[in-house]
Amino acid sequence: MTASPSRVSETEEPAIEFDHASFHINGRPLLQDLVLSVKQGETLVLLGRSGSGKTTTLKLINRLLLPTSGEVRVNRKRTSEWDAIRLRRSIGYVIQDGGLFPHFTVERNIAIVPRIEKWPQPQIDARVRELLVTVGLSEDLLSRYPSQLSGGQRQRVGVARALAADPPILILDEAFGALDPITRSEMQKEFRELQQRMKKTVIFVTHDLREGLLLADRIALMEEGKLVVDLPAHEFARSGDPLVRAYVEAFSALPDPNQSEREVSR
Amino acid sequence: MNLNFMRRCSAAVNSKWIALSLACVLLLQISGCGRHADRIVVGSKDFTEQLVLGELFAQIIEHRAHLPVERRFYLAGTFICQQAILAGRIDIYPEYTGTALTAVLKQQPSGDKLDVYQRVQQAYQTKFNLALGRPLGFNDTFAIVIRGDDARKLHLKAVSQAAAFTPKWRAGFGYEFMERPDGYKGLVASYNLRFAEAPRIMDLGLITRALKERQVDLIAGNNTDGLIPALDLFVLEDDHHYFPPYEAVAVMREDLLKKHPEVAGALDALSGAISDDDMRRLNYAVDGQHRDAAAVAKEFLQQRKLIN
Amino acid sequence: MNFLQFMMTNRQQVLDLTLEHITLAGVATLLASLVGIPLGILITRVPQLSKPVLGGANIIQTIPSLALFGFLLPAPWIGARGGRLAILALALYGLLPLIRNTYAGIQGVDPAIVEAGRAMGLTDRQLLLQVELPLASGVIVAGVRIAAVLSIGLATIAAAIGAGGLGEFIFRGLAMVNNQVILAGAIPAALLALLVDFLLGRLERRLGTLRLKT
Repeated sequence: MTASPSRVSETEEPAIEFDHASFHINGRPLLQDLVLSVKQGETLVLLGRSGSGKTTTLKLINRLLLPTSGEVRVNRKRTSEWDAIRLRRSIGYVIQDGGLFPHFTVERNIAIVPRIEKWPQPQIDARVRELLVTVGLSEDLLSRYPSQLSGGQRQRVGVARALAADPPILILDEAFGALDPITRSEMQKEFRELQQRMKKTVIFVTHDLREGLLLADRIALMEEGKLVVDLPAHEFARSGDPLVRAYVEAFSALPDPNQSEREVSR
Repeated sequence: MNLNFMRRCSAAVNSKWIALSLACVLLLQISGCGRHADRIVVGSKDFTEQLVLGELFAQIIEHRAHLPVERRFYLAGTFICQQAILAGRIDIYPEYTGTALTAVLKQQPSGDKLDVYQRVQQAYQTKFNLALGRPLGFNDTFAIVIRGDDARKLHLKAVSQAAAFTPKWRAGFGYEFMERPDGYKGLVASYNLRFAEAPRIMDLGLITRALKERQVDLIAGNNTDGLIPALDLFVLEDDHHYFPPYEAVAVMREDLLKKHPEVAGALDALSGAISDDDMRRLNYAVDGQHRDAAAVAKEFLQQRKLIN
Repeated sequence: MNFLQFMMTNRQQVLDLTLEHITLAGVATLLASLVGIPLGILITRVPQLSKPVLGGANIIQTIPSLALFGFLLPAPWIGARGGRLAILALALYGLLPLIRNTYAGIQGVDPAIVEAGRAMGLTDRQLLLQVELPLASGVIVAGVRIAAVLSIGLATIAAAIGAGGLGEFIFRGLAMVNNQVILAGAIPAALLALLVDFLLGRLERRLGTLRLKT
């Protein structure tokens, strides 16, 4: 089954399904009995601490890992039945700091998948320029190398690279985690605009609740390899689940400058 | 900058640079062969007799064939010389028929000079494309040597005659002679020799003096040892032909002879020109009198009117 | 006559022997690379083989060079010519640095980059050729450098089995008890080793900076 065209409006047919999927390694369970479904065009945020199993979940989607029990399906087909290469080329993957190839220029980095998919060169050139506009980068960065870019620029290139072959699914793993707060906030807003235009199926992994709330249609909270809650974003903050409450409190507490002054003068 | 280099590198790999540098190396090699064509390279092993022979070859070619000669002497042994001539690094070197037969061709020797020579000549031609010159005239084989006054007193000329007297004598031999199957054991068996006591095993360099100084009475030395005439020693004839012949010959590359047939002619002037005695005297001049091998060779060639 | 005069007078021989020496060491290093680099790549793909392959190459290295020449002498075809034997022996000695450095170089590439490449749908071949090898190239060239310098040094001993090269001057000089002849072999050999080490070291440094993470 080939990758479906990108601009598919939200339908009821799930893009990604986890059907009691588990993953064990050396006897340790990294993911236990996950039941989750992502609709076409939906943005799901996987929220949780480190070790909660979010990255494992992500890697099951593009078959970097195969489930040790249960099934993972993409477009209704088991990942184990997909040709791994074809599957991965129809999923855009963005990681922290971009994961760019240090020995490729920006242009070569972005054009990787179109090139190995053997697009004609003029088409590749046009696409690269189009993507630069999309992610807000200037064309004179094309011949630069990743080490010559700022963190924010690298991240944008990473997103451009993931979008290059126009995949229907995008997975992002703490994509904005390495950025300073201001840049991070900019990137989040831009990404949200991008989503609304492109309507791709997006799985976004983060440990930052605010980011999750900003970007998600739905939030799945994970802890120690298990799914704790799976709620639409607007319902999430109101949930009574103790873990959710803990999260919400952790993110709303702000230090009180008056309090520390009083302590010093005592 | 460094990363740009990476791009240039991948371009270079595909481009003419590699081809060009390879071509350069090849050209150097080929031109290397070219320069070799008009110079003759004469090699030799690393002992005195070989140096003298090497000089004789080199000088006679220079004077009679009028070709420049390069000398590559002191090559460390038969194997090295053989490798060098096969690889074309040398064109000519002096060898002994017995050595060629046993060490190079790994065949069993016989006592017959002509048989050994012909076998070597044929095998070298077919296997290695090497030509053999005619024998130079001397035999650098093992020699059973006694003192001159014993020889005269007892009227001894051959080893079989000496067998009658050996029970009263002490013998001295080198370590290798004792160990080789065609050394001591075979000699004793062939001539039915008995000695007063077990032979003394000595360093080859000291053995001749030991004979002179009456520490031993009979030794196995080199037939062409320079000290033999100098110390009034006598070589007993090997009348049972026990020792294989080690006739000195020039080994030459066929390819060289095709290009420069005059070289064969020049070297042939030496065939039969050097007797056992001649070689002993030449060896002594270098070893005993410490003269230069090139000068000794030149003097010999002039005396024999082989060169001007 | 002093040493430099000796070199000038015999410059043709010095040139001949130097060229022979370069050929011996050069062909050997090339062979070692052609076998060692693919083997190094193989053991990154098939980890079970890494121990036997590296172990085997290590054993070869521990055999004393002259002994290895001796072992190979009776071999048919190889042992018939000193040059062939020397090239084979030198190539065998060059295997360990090349296999080991190729292996280490590829293993040393940032795993996040490799994973990103795999996740994008690069085939194993594309990953190897476009990502891993270019990023490992500095370390691999270091392996070539080590093998080359090793070969140049060992090739001096190869003269003992009739392979020619600058070692011939050294052995002849020893037999003649003539220092000039010895130096005529020893000094060019040393200079050659230094030159190759320098040039490949430059290349290695230029390629090595690619390994810096983004």
